[in-house]
Amino acid sequence: MASTSNEAPAVPPSLSLPPSQFARLQPHAYLLAHLSPPAATNQPSIRANGREPLQFRTTSANCGSLTHTNGSAVVRIGDTAAVCGVRAELLHTDDIASWSVARTSSASTNKRQRLAELGEDVTEEDNEDEDDQDRAHIEDLSLLVPNLSLSTGCAPGYLPGAPPSTTAQSISHEILSLLHSSRLVKADDLRIWYQPPNLGPEDEQMDVDEGAGKKAETEEQKPREIKAYWVLYIDIMIISLAGNPFDAAWASVVAALRDTKLPNAWWDVDNETVLCSDDVSEAHKLTLRGLPVASSFCVFEADAAAGWRAKPIPNAQQQKKDGKGRWILADPDGYEDNLAHERVSIVVDKEKNGKTVILKMEKVGGWTIDTEDLRRLVDVSSKRWDEMKQIFDQC
Amino acid sequence: MTTPLILLPGDEVPSDYLPSSKSNPLKIGSGLRLLSQPSTKSKEPNHVLSATQAGILETDARRNTISLLSFPNRRYIPTTNDLIIAQVHHSSADFFHCMITPHTAQALLGQLSFEGATKKTRPMLKQGDIVYARVLSVGIGAGAEVELTCVNPATGKANPGGLGPLNGGMVFDLSTGMAARLLHASSSSADDDEPVDGLVVLSELGKKLEGFGGFELAVGRNGKVWVDCSNAEENAIKVTIAIGRCLQGTDEHNLNPADQKKLVTRTLRDMKLV
Amino acid sequence: MVGPTASLSNLHRADGSASYKCPVTGYDVLGAVNAPIELPARKDALKPEDATIEVFVKPGKATAGVGERYVERILRTMLEKVILGREKGLPRRGVVITLAAVGGEAAERGDSYITIIPALLHASLLALISAAVPLSMTFTTTLLGVTRSGQIIRDPSPAAAKAVASLHVLSFSSKGHLLLSESQGRFDFETWELVRQQAASICRAVATTGSDGDTDMGEGADGAHVDAFVRETVEDSLHRDYTWKLESA
Repeated sequence: MASTSNEAPAVPPSLSLPPSQFARLQPHAYLLAHLSPPAATNQPSIRANGREPLQFRTTSANCGSLTHTNGSAVVRIGDTAAVCGVRAELLHTDDIASWSVARTSSASTNKRQRLAELGEDVTEEDNEDEDDQDRAHIEDLSLLVPNLSLSTGCAPGYLPGAPPSTTAQSISHEILSLLHSSRLVKADDLRIWYQPPNLGPEDEQMDVDEGAGKKAETEEQKPREIKAYWVLYIDIMIISLAGNPFDAAWASVVAALRDTKLPNAWWDVDNETVLCSDDVSEAHKLTLRGLPVASSFCVFEADAAAGWRAKPIPNAQQQKKDGKGRWILADPDGYEDNLAHERVSIVVDKEKNGKTVILKMEKVGGWTIDTEDLRRLVDVSSKRWDEMKQIFDQC
Repeated sequence: MTTPLILLPGDEVPSDYLPSSKSNPLKIGSGLRLLSQPSTKSKEPNHVLSATQAGILETDARRNTISLLSFPNRRYIPTTNDLIIAQVHHSSADFFHCMITPHTAQALLGQLSFEGATKKTRPMLKQGDIVYARVLSVGIGAGAEVELTCVNPATGKANPGGLGPLNGGMVFDLSTGMAARLLHASSSSADDDEPVDGLVVLSELGKKLEGFGGFELAVGRNGKVWVDCSNAEENAIKVTIAIGRCLQGTDEHNLNPADQKKLVTRTLRDMKLV
Repeated sequence: MVGPTASLSNLHRADGSASYKCPVTGYDVLGAVNAPIELPARKDALKPEDATIEVFVKPGKATAGVGERYVERILRTMLEKVILGREKGLPRRGVVITLAAVGGEAAERGDSYITIIPALLHASLLALISAAVPLSMTFTTTLLGVTRSGQIIRDPSPAAAKAVASLHVLSFSSKGHLLLSESQGRFDFETWELVRQQAASICRAVATTGSDGDTDMGEGADGAHVDAFVRETVEDSLHRDYTWKLESA
């Protein structure tokens, strides 16, 4: 079983199999033979696809290729390719059933005004406060609607006409939950404000401007109100699936959101509707908070049924000592995906001072990974972040 | 027996609980697994017994066995040699198709697997008839068929067990744990006064109902008990129901021997049988 | 602090069942396990030497959505490793775990489902035990939140969970392995290490100094360790089922 494809000539010719068939018949043994070459040969441990254990596949990204969307991106990681399109639609506050109730109960506008009156510059704390409001608005009103589809033929298992697979649903949720918890999109970008004119008896011609300098008038000025929201429909399509769909899908979402331009929109009092400008120069880009990058890993075990075989499962402490017989593989392809149980998925971002922040960390499906490995993987992920940043910046 | 040792999955059996007999090999029952760890110091591998289910550890020094008593009241899964009560669903050329538990595939009972059955003398069972049978084989793999028999394959006789069609009487449902207890109690009823497995309900009923001509009872591992007391003539139905109620009451409320006696007395009084 | 409550084998039709209620977070989960059962119509998809494990999560007040699919996937991948699917009678068959959130706040769309994972996992573990499905080990789970000021709070309620900087669910096996770690929010690795430490001390009586892995039950005088709670629940239930045997012995 440990015979690699290199040793094929040693076997009688009638029984020899080409490597590709061996890979299909004995996938586990095939990958194991690659990862644990005979000690005598001095070969490095390498994956069946020629990559080092912690090497990612070649990644490329392309933005704005779909012209009829507000923003779009194609991200390709090896043979996994994801297309993401962002479509913005208007949501009038009049159409939100609980809008007026929610507004009176929330002290958001008051607070904003109070801060403005105090003339304080926005401190760290206020930023966080704003974050919370953002989160509440985006979550409560469902302003971000991601949907992932694993299209027909992306992998052999996906047949036409089938309902969305559980994988697709699960990743859709993961993306949505990550969009919420990372607060990537600012709610302020999605708001369409309206400043009602002050129709006081003495000054009907007053400017609709904020009027920051005119202190006396600001007090009388009516508070500006939100008339509508942009809802972003984020549709992701995996057109080719060769393992690790989450990384590709998330990268395509981030790239598409970076590409997204929202047209300039305003409330038209006469028509009582929102009007949009078709001038591209007036459109504004979204200001995203950071650049979260996802990296996934899987753990390949030499003895897949180790937990069942007739030997005791070692205690956690004992296991630490003999950390052999397993390999952590970065960015698993479809072949490796099917052979691994334990998975780690890490989403990191870097602050301006270069400090790595973890936005999401998931480890499930096994018992071999613990603190030390995770620390290493976080480092690997933050290196991956640098790589991805370059790729994003180029597109 | 000292305080019972309860194990959870993954727990190892402490070595001082193992029966110490060296003469014959240790027999390991369900719920336990023998694991061996290649030891670095000595050449002999270390053996440990590890639990895979939660249960009470039970050792028998005489027979040198060790097993785990897990949760008793589970769905019945046919196992070879179990005595069960099955109901005929329909019959085909060679087989009677029987129901053992609801919502599971039917079991097959050969038309000729009755004591002394030939093409001409085989019993003509109709839909709904009850048979007391033994599980002959359960097959292997998914979709395997369970086969039943009403004869001892070695002797061709219906005994031991009194297999065959059950005529008259009535079937009551019990938990599978209770059924196993009843079977165990009846198979080891050597001493008269000592309650076996904490069950006195049957002996108590036997004593009290002697005046009605006694009763017949068949217990199936699939959680069914068949009761017949046609000797009681006009009281037959009353007596049957009283027995069923006592058994079900003992089962549902997990009664101890004293309460079982009380239940029997109360039930018989309520039904005006005493 | 009010501890969780649990009971085993509450459903009569299922092979095994359990309910788990955590008053602090308000979640109340009823779990049922059927195993081994024949899975219909998907014979080709069944693994020849392993059991197929299916997990269904039903929310209390709504129909199951994408969020449930996500939790189901997490539970399934974790339980696949704990269930000994190669034991006799299990290969090519199914282990079906159904979990219904009976009480507690329903998660909204896009909410993090992390907060309910401990209750789901405990309910499924107890249900699996009560169905006597062979397991390689037991496990315990806890939910921790880290506030903006860096304080670690145990079992935050759903409302409190929205306000914290990061949320963590960690699960430890009875032998000390880290089985599951789900974290979201903004945090750095040092924070996670602290969280892991605290979670380990909540989940397990750390007195595993006994070299032969013999867990000493006298440990945990406060009884707050989750693994002691699981053990007690199972022991109580077994005691009740075998009263007749233990009394007569």
